[in-house]
Amino acid sequence: MSAPGSRRQVIFAWMALLPFLALFAVFMVYPLIQSASLALNQTYGPDTRILVGSKNFELLMKDPVFWKAIRNTLVYTLGSLFIQLPLAFGLALVLNSRRLRGRSIYRLIFFSPQLMGLVFVSVLGALAFEKRAGLVNRSLAWLLQNEKLLEIDWLQAYIMPTLILISLWLYVGFNMIYFLAALQNVPASLLEAAEIDGAGPFNRLRHVILPAVKPVATFVVLLSMIGSLQLFELPYILLQGNGGPNNDGLTIVMYLYQNGFELGDLGYASAVGWALALMLIALALVQIRMVRKEEASA
Amino acid sequence: MSSHPRSRSSRMLTHLVLIVLAVIVLVPYAWLIVASLKTKEDFFSGMFFPPGDGFLGVAWSSLTLDNYTNLIEKGFGRAAINSVFYASASAIFATFICAATGYALAKSKFRGRTLMTLVVLGSLIVPPTLLIAPSYELLFDLGLLDSVWGLLLPTFAPAFGVFLFRQAVQQSVPDELIEAARIDGCSESGIFMVIVLPLIRPMIGAFLLITFLGMWNNFISPQIVLQTASKQPLSVAIAQLRGVYKTDYGLLMAATVVSVTPVAVLFLVLQKQFISGLTSGAVKG
Amino acid sequence: MKDAFMLPLLSLRHLSIGVWIILGLLILSSVYLLGVDDAKSEDLQMWVFSPEHKQMYEPKIAELNARSGSDADTESRKDIELTLLSIAAIQSRMTSGFFGGLPTADMIEVERSTVGKVFMGPPESIGFRDITDRLKDEGLYDQINGPSLSPWSVNGRVYGLPHDVHPVMLAYRADLTEAAGIDLTQATTWEKFFELLAPLMSDEDGNGRPDHYPLSMWVTQQDNIELLMLQGDGQLFDADGRPTINSDRNAELLAEIVSWCIGDEPLVTDIDEFSAAGHQARVDGEAIAYLCPDWMCSIWKMHVPLIDGKMKLMPLPAFEEGGRRTSVRGGTMLGFPKESDEYEQAWETAVQLYTSPEIARELYQMVDIVSPIRSLWDDPVYDEPDPFFMDQAKGRMFIELAPDIPLRTSSPYNYSAVLNVRDAAVNILDWSTNGGGIDDEALLAKTKEELDKAQRAIERQMSRNAFIEVVAP
Repeated sequence: MSAPGSRRQVIFAWMALLPFLALFAVFMVYPLIQSASLALNQTYGPDTRILVGSKNFELLMKDPVFWKAIRNTLVYTLGSLFIQLPLAFGLALVLNSRRLRGRSIYRLIFFSPQLMGLVFVSVLGALAFEKRAGLVNRSLAWLLQNEKLLEIDWLQAYIMPTLILISLWLYVGFNMIYFLAALQNVPASLLEAAEIDGAGPFNRLRHVILPAVKPVATFVVLLSMIGSLQLFELPYILLQGNGGPNNDGLTIVMYLYQNGFELGDLGYASAVGWALALMLIALALVQIRMVRKEEASA
Repeated sequence: MSSHPRSRSSRMLTHLVLIVLAVIVLVPYAWLIVASLKTKEDFFSGMFFPPGDGFLGVAWSSLTLDNYTNLIEKGFGRAAINSVFYASASAIFATFICAATGYALAKSKFRGRTLMTLVVLGSLIVPPTLLIAPSYELLFDLGLLDSVWGLLLPTFAPAFGVFLFRQAVQQSVPDELIEAARIDGCSESGIFMVIVLPLIRPMIGAFLLITFLGMWNNFISPQIVLQTASKQPLSVAIAQLRGVYKTDYGLLMAATVVSVTPVAVLFLVLQKQFISGLTSGAVKG
Repeated sequence: MKDAFMLPLLSLRHLSIGVWIILGLLILSSVYLLGVDDAKSEDLQMWVFSPEHKQMYEPKIAELNARSGSDADTESRKDIELTLLSIAAIQSRMTSGFFGGLPTADMIEVERSTVGKVFMGPPESIGFRDITDRLKDEGLYDQINGPSLSPWSVNGRVYGLPHDVHPVMLAYRADLTEAAGIDLTQATTWEKFFELLAPLMSDEDGNGRPDHYPLSMWVTQQDNIELLMLQGDGQLFDADGRPTINSDRNAELLAEIVSWCIGDEPLVTDIDEFSAAGHQARVDGEAIAYLCPDWMCSIWKMHVPLIDGKMKLMPLPAFEEGGRRTSVRGGTMLGFPKESDEYEQAWETAVQLYTSPEIARELYQMVDIVSPIRSLWDDPVYDEPDPFFMDQAKGRMFIELAPDIPLRTSSPYNYSAVLNVRDAAVNILDWSTNGGGIDDEALLAKTKEELDKAQRAIERQMSRNAFIEVVAP
């Protein structure tokens, strides 16, 4: 790091930071500390509090429902990383071409699901994925001319695929915008040179485009990972508050909510939340490590 | 590429794929609009239009604007104004606070900058649900329950925004420009106002829209923080149309159409900046 | 620094149109909102989660508010403010209120599925007032339908005023049974019920499925599984709140219920209770009969008008001859938070609302729900013929069954237990389809095994609670 700036600069920096830091300390750091204290106690009313220490964490490690929630959440996260992001990237590649007519309209359409409130998304999701009468099954049965497809019970038997599909609708367009941004980084001269050298589309993608978008890709992967691991509202509303048969649709944050606000065990809920935070920190560290390593070797 | 013999057919194919995807994305809207025109008797009949003897086998005459007139009678006017206020206040303050913070973290040199950046960005991994209970207690202790500030203040400092603006500044504000301005005798606040803000203008537009949307669609925290019914925003009024025993889905869908329209218009007006804004922010992770 | 004033102005030029629009919106809306007066209310607070309830209470509350302050007697009274909140909002406010000791409202309506956490801790720490003595002193205790108090009681002490009874009957497509010459009212047991309806299961239209299934029910429908187990006196918890999920009676009942779903020709079919597809299936007569709590009637009237005049109600067939002919599903209570200083007025208001003949009548007319207050049962509204159910006096029929509804536990772990029993049922069905077969004894053994698993899961969950002792029965 270079030498500290002048006194004037430092004063300005602190003034610029002050409003944020004040709000951040009050509305983020303080409640976070409180939640850590909750995780170590069992509370029931202000006068009834038992210090249970690490018991909540020990129980958590032995709780099969918690592990199930972790498994489901990881499945969803992998699904959104490996399906959603490539799809978003593909769309961005196509829509990046200046020769494509109507690309701003396409961009607008693909982004638009972000405008919808969750009340609507949940009502619609439940109706669309219903068996027999739902939009999805009717379309499938009509397209493939197979009546049996009407009986696919998305919301009971295939809840994770359903969640991944709905999240595709919601988020592909959003991530596409990030990739579109990244593609601005690809130097046009390099692409032309590659084309003159006779590189096919695949080679151009591999040797010119991918290296250029890599920094943004890392950023988008990290953001979607955080978002996916915190998945809550969508399954909560779709499954009417419970985890579905055998908890197949239970996510980590849903389990946090169930314990804290339905069962009233705020301590255990906080332990779940902290376990998730620790998991995310570990993942973030791994990713930063990987990026550093590659940068060092490059 | 236009000289390529295959290009015409491949362009057609591209459009075909894009149109299919666009239709998949748009079908729910079409369904939403049709559903808002149905009576409650017809709501569950027919996937889109109620079946009947009319043109294309649709009972056109049973479509109605009643849901919209009922909505007007319900008097959502005050709720809509509340929504506009919360969303715009949250958007303006969050954007400028995050812009200033992002700039300071990206360009200013002071002790502890790295640590501070790490802490702020690290807070992104905290699941918001974890903080519901402690935050409620905090708002009570501060006397901010049932106050507009209790709802707004926590939304003024999103770590995500700091993240985006820090990226945007790193990407689009060259150090040389700042140094040159300093040499010219420009004050630090002057540099921020006159040089930095215009350069990150696209990100400002984009982040305004993101925070506006987020607040506009938020329906849980207003109910937790605000107690007085007249202070509730539109999203809450709409969520309350879902009955416990029975829901008038047509009315609910009409309300959804009404609530999406203003943000859709805002988005249409701002979309160009919005997209270029996010573009500028994301580059160079 | 002469440019200190000019600089911000200069930079304004660079702001984009979006900033201007949103700034404009902010200014306009704040000017308007500054003009309205939202003085913090000192009113008596009542929270409800049902828009229907709010609508019913509003006239009475307006009347009470108009009366307050009109004479010396009522001068000290506060106005009552009725607030509609989503269940999630009530949940989170109540959690913070009770556990953090923060004020909530003076009266809160709570749904059965969310009341559990109120009873998590030691009884002396329950956030709601114990209203047992007051109910008895004022003679209300005996006026309320007895079993309707059970979900809101711990160790015989009552913590909420019941809003409803929610008895369950069998609703069936009388147009179809009568056309086939079947008198379903002869079905006093489930066995007879399935026997009587067997002729309607033939496949006349040749689509490879029976034309009509006798009953709409499935292993995935946890509410209906709980309802049926309750009907047969299956209890998931004993009177002291200890889990009894793997009791012999529960295994027997669950095995019988699951046996309806298994095999190549199941007797019941999976029709969604609240969806478009489900409503269409109801119109098509895919199932003849449904398990119908009183509140379900109004949902059908609204969403399935095409079965209007085709349905009839009758008491549920029993598991054994002479057994219980009804059950119970759902419910709401009104609680009085201990933190409130206005208990007296809150109590009076609550009694006014819950014992008002007008509101009870409206409750029945609007959402077909019968009141738990026995003295209101004489109201002729309950004898009115209901054209939806072929002019049966539906209200009277539900009321006759009300005293028979099964007792329910107030255990905070009940919802969890019900979900675990549902999972057990789902697993038994899977086991049966994947080679387990349909032999009764094997089925019972498998059921016991699955219920043991459910029992252990709940014991594990309860063992986390430092306030209670879990003793395995």
